[in-house]
Amino acid sequence: MGHQYQAVQWNKNKIAYDLYVVTAIIVFIGIFIFIGLQIRPNGHSADLVILLIRALGVTAFTMLTIILLIGPLARISPRFLPMLYNRRHLGVITFMVSGAHFGLALIWYHGGGPLNPFVSLFVSNPLYDSIPGFPFEVLGLGAFVVLFVMAATSHDFWLNNLSAPVWKALHMLVYPAYVLLVFHIVLGALMTEKSIVYPIMTAATFITVSSLHLFTGLKEWGADSAMKSLKAKGWIDVGAPTSIPNMRAVIASLPKGDRVAVFRYDDKISAVTNACRHQNGPLGEGRVIDGCITCPWHGWQYRPDDGVSPPPFTEKIATYNVKIENDRVFVDPKPNPPGTRTTPAIISQSGAPAS
Amino acid sequence: MSLAEGILDPSKKTTGDMFIGWAPAPKVDRRFLLGALPLAFAGTSGASWLIAKNLDDPGAGAWLTNTTHSVTGVLTHHPYPMIRFADTNAPFGLRTVLIVAIGKCTSALEWRDRAAEAVTASGVLIQRKDHQMLEVPPFAQEWLASVDGPVDTALAAPTIESLGSARLAGTIMDSKCFFGVMRPGRGKTHKACASLCIRGGIPPSFWVRSRDGREQIMLMTDAAGDPMPKDILPLVADPVEAEGEIVRVGDLIQFRADTSAYRRI
Repeated sequence: MGHQYQAVQWNKNKIAYDLYVVTAIIVFIGIFIFIGLQIRPNGHSADLVILLIRALGVTAFTMLTIILLIGPLARISPRFLPMLYNRRHLGVITFMVSGAHFGLALIWYHGGGPLNPFVSLFVSNPLYDSIPGFPFEVLGLGAFVVLFVMAATSHDFWLNNLSAPVWKALHMLVYPAYVLLVFHIVLGALMTEKSIVYPIMTAATFITVSSLHLFTGLKEWGADSAMKSLKAKGWIDVGAPTSIPNMRAVIASLPKGDRVAVFRYDDKISAVTNACRHQNGPLGEGRVIDGCITCPWHGWQYRPDDGVSPPPFTEKIATYNVKIENDRVFVDPKPNPPGTRTTPAIISQSGAPAS
Repeated sequence: MSLAEGILDPSKKTTGDMFIGWAPAPKVDRRFLLGALPLAFAGTSGASWLIAKNLDDPGAGAWLTNTTHSVTGVLTHHPYPMIRFADTNAPFGLRTVLIVAIGKCTSALEWRDRAAEAVTASGVLIQRKDHQMLEVPPFAQEWLASVDGPVDTALAAPTIESLGSARLAGTIMDSKCFFGVMRPGRGKTHKACASLCIRGGIPPSFWVRSRDGREQIMLMTDAAGDPMPKDILPLVADPVEAEGEIVRVGDLIQFRADTSAYRRI
């Protein structure tokens, strides 16, 4: 939706979201340090700087875990969409927290010595050929670099200039970054601390993130497979017109792997690409509001018949031709150029196509 | 019109049960969030409590940065910078305080021309049980003052007694962090720092624990009693075993073994 770029386009929901996140971070770190200092009195507590380094690291990992959980949870239930809406802010704040962890650890453990701290980071533990001895610091650094790239390109300016597919691919690096962080923890803190609580918690978070992604992935794969079996005469059969909930869509899988969102609004049916122009959000999981298809992720809107955002916005998405035959809705798998006006298929009172 | 506002009139509330960021949240979402957000808050707070509560005991080291501590005795530099002074309460009538510089570059410390002199050294005391260390600024005039009078030869060259050979399993620590500058100053998360400290001239210690929890901290030297060479660095902070000679120099226990005698376990 065309607009002038601003650093942050605040609204009430974003302010509430960020306030909640910042409060939760302060409380999380506060509890960590308070308990860390209190649990072993008489000079046996960890020192404040190390507690802060650890608290920041645990906070960043927890935040990244939550970020990765929001996606699949929002696919399972729309109740999680409010958490997805401002996820980019959560990502940037996660980068800031991880930056504080990285900076403090770099100064505390690698500063003030005979080597440049950045050189020390790579050479002070030389056991690159050992799995248990592997320098866990470089794994954390790798993840931090990814978080930096993601935070630096998080603005819509980069989304538009890099194009949505490139931007999306870049931001998919969060998954390798998460794996790097898990190994950063396993080969670092878990090799140092004796409590069984830490491996259990790390494994539980990793398994939860992985299984939720697997679950939603399998669910989509199943839906795609079911759709593929409905192909006929080159056009895609997406079912009876009345099987599409009013003001909502069904998502059909196309032979080349793209997805199309087929919307029913009152007695009309139109089809557009399932990928929102903004962040590739799943338009087919949105609904028609005030005559416009509305993306569930960030509320970007498009007219169903031509895929163009309502004025003053100018974004365009691909449309698809649709027809109704024998009380079935068919979609031409060949996309029209973005913004191409199509004729909606009209549902007659009997469910048959109107003449 | 901006993206923040969208194209809907927020007062219309026509979004049904679908959440749109720039419009008022539907009732069903508000109800869900009223339950889920406090739950998430409590969950993450509980996780923070659980993680902090189970941290290992880092030991009783102390870094007494609030006061300046002075030691008067005989300065020596072999195998590492240290001051010995007479103490009738100490087991062998003398006590040794290791000297390290602020930061991790003790090898840059200005003092060598004052070796075997009676001096007063002032700095920050680092202490783990009976083991003491003085952290001083790099320039001699900032921490070192000569003391008039004869040098006590018992302090300048104390008795060296061999306590025999032994094969010991333990961990190589950088004495400064382990004595109290960092808590915890051990484990893999501290390996890089310990390696950097020892590279910078801070004396390495061999930390050995018996099954009943008693610990022994021995100053590490090579087999000839000279400073450990830098090729020990890859083994720092890892569990290792080594066969070497245990030697008492004054009140200080040394573990003498070349790097080749150490093996990672």
